[in-house]
Amino acid sequence: MASITMRNLVKNYGNVTVIPGLDLEIADEEFIVLVGPSGCGKSTLLRVLAGLEAIDGGDLMIGDRRVNELPAAKRDIAMVFQDYALYPHMTVRQNMAFALEMRGLSAAEIAPRIEEAAKLLDIQPYLDRRPKALSGGQRQRVAMGRAIVRDPQVFLFDEPLSNLDAKLRGQVRAEIKTLSKKLRTTMVFVTHDQIEAMTMADRIVVMKAGIIQQVGTPEEVYENPANLFVASFIGSPSMNFLPVEVQADQLRLVDGSLLPTTLMAGQAAGHKSLTLGIRPEHFEVVGEGQGIAADIRLVEPLGSDTLVHAFAAGQEVIARVSPDLRPVTGQRLWLSPASGKAHLFDPETEVRIDGTGKVN
Amino acid sequence: MATKPSDSRWLDCINVILLVLAGVIVMTPTAWMVLSSFKPSHEVTAYPPTLIFAPTVENYVTLSEQTPFLSYAVNSLIVTVGSTLFGLLFGAPAAFVASWTRITWPAVVALMARMAPGTLFLLPWYVMFRQVDMIGSYWALILTHAVITLPIVIWVLLPYFDNIPRSIFEAAQVDGCSPFRIFRRIALPLVASGLAVSAILAFVFSWNFFLFSLVLSNSQTKTLIAASFNFIGEGSTNWGGLMAAATIIALPPLLLAAIVQRWLISGLTLGAVKG
Repeated sequence: MASITMRNLVKNYGNVTVIPGLDLEIADEEFIVLVGPSGCGKSTLLRVLAGLEAIDGGDLMIGDRRVNELPAAKRDIAMVFQDYALYPHMTVRQNMAFALEMRGLSAAEIAPRIEEAAKLLDIQPYLDRRPKALSGGQRQRVAMGRAIVRDPQVFLFDEPLSNLDAKLRGQVRAEIKTLSKKLRTTMVFVTHDQIEAMTMADRIVVMKAGIIQQVGTPEEVYENPANLFVASFIGSPSMNFLPVEVQADQLRLVDGSLLPTTLMAGQAAGHKSLTLGIRPEHFEVVGEGQGIAADIRLVEPLGSDTLVHAFAAGQEVIARVSPDLRPVTGQRLWLSPASGKAHLFDPETEVRIDGTGKVN
Repeated sequence: MATKPSDSRWLDCINVILLVLAGVIVMTPTAWMVLSSFKPSHEVTAYPPTLIFAPTVENYVTLSEQTPFLSYAVNSLIVTVGSTLFGLLFGAPAAFVASWTRITWPAVVALMARMAPGTLFLLPWYVMFRQVDMIGSYWALILTHAVITLPIVIWVLLPYFDNIPRSIFEAAQVDGCSPFRIFRRIALPLVASGLAVSAILAFVFSWNFFLFSLVLSNSQTKTLIAASFNFIGEGSTNWGGLMAAATIIALPPLLLAAIVQRWLISGLTLGAVKG
């Protein structure tokens, strides 16, 4: 169990700087999720943490130890790989015992640890099978078991759910979260799936081009996104962005419709042009002639609610509405942001304007 | 019942014709060699060749009486097994390192050495081994045959190592493995079939190579294939004896190839796809 500290961490591949100087503090026993699109540097950062990639600048501390030059073997970390990376020629038991053998533990010391981890993950029936004879979900559990049995200071997960089908992914997601509470070990989890990030993390680190965009709890990142990138990346479907002009205490949209600034989470005063951000679930259907006129192009019923793709204020928007509304294609709806839920962004800096009217 | 499109039937026909042609090209000399070894001396070189004849083992009897064939066979085995083991011992780690580091130029250099005519090495080796008084020793032959076995092992194993997902090696690193242990405990067991393929190919090529033995061996260490040239004289050649010797020499590689043909084909295809 250990904290992780990164100070001005730099990683280059030849002349290309992938991480240009990153600062991050991860608390002991914290579950951190690194999230971002492909190529944002999240997996590179994890590999740097693991010791699989050299550090080109700054400091990396695990606990009180500076581990910059320490090889992976000596960092006391365990890693679950995207493809699980189980040793195909070994049984599940041998896979789990391997790291302990490398540490010089005796067979008598190893056996009970394997049994304990296998029990925790419900993989006892498969201990004498080879990975080839296991399903994707079972392999995933074995990969977790191989990490758990070592009792490391830090767990690293590199998109371990991406090879599972949607149903299994949800199940394993919940299992990993439960496990993290039981094990009380620092965990760093990399994913490009914002749902995984939201559901599992104590804190989310949103990355883009090797730079941290925002660090916060899932609620903070969802409710108060730092900038347009975070706002668009977190949440599914994505937040709708509409250009607006500030006119006294109202916002004028492209189609001429007006929205009162009192509905906004940020204060528009002092700005001329802004970007209005409204999540699909934060649209309210209002009476005719109020809010923004939206012509329905496509209806996606999801059961619990319905997604409406509509043309509003000169562009495509998505609104999540009650299925009781029974919207149909071609119908015109009038939409307005729920009070206090719409965000304002500076279109030049792309930064969100907070409740005081300042950019964050 | 579904019928095949006519294009496909034509392709099938062409395939069969090509396979038969390839079979004839490959098998005719082999059949000729085996049949000739059982013919009386005067019939061996007769033209047109006789297909119906009274078989005789006279050539094999001459072979066993005139030459210490068994001791030559033992010499061949010592040199071939020794150079194959040498090739595996150094070639397997070399292929692993080339795959791991993605630096393949040493493997290319090894291949160039293999492709160069053997005569290129003869003079320097002759001078070197004479200098250290090793002419006629098994070691001289084993070491020189490594120029045949080492590149084969490297080039057969390289795609096998490349095919192992890198994450498996990385998992082993995180598990506390040193590079040598990764090689021994993880990589080698995963390329077991490649090791078998490379060992067989190295064995066959080394077994059939005669040039180094011709120059660097003596009467005590001469290999089977070099000894078989004793049947070629300046004035006359004992073709029957030569064919009998060639048949016996061809047996071990043919047997090996037949036993492991499935591995061989998959191993060679792997090389072709990845290479």
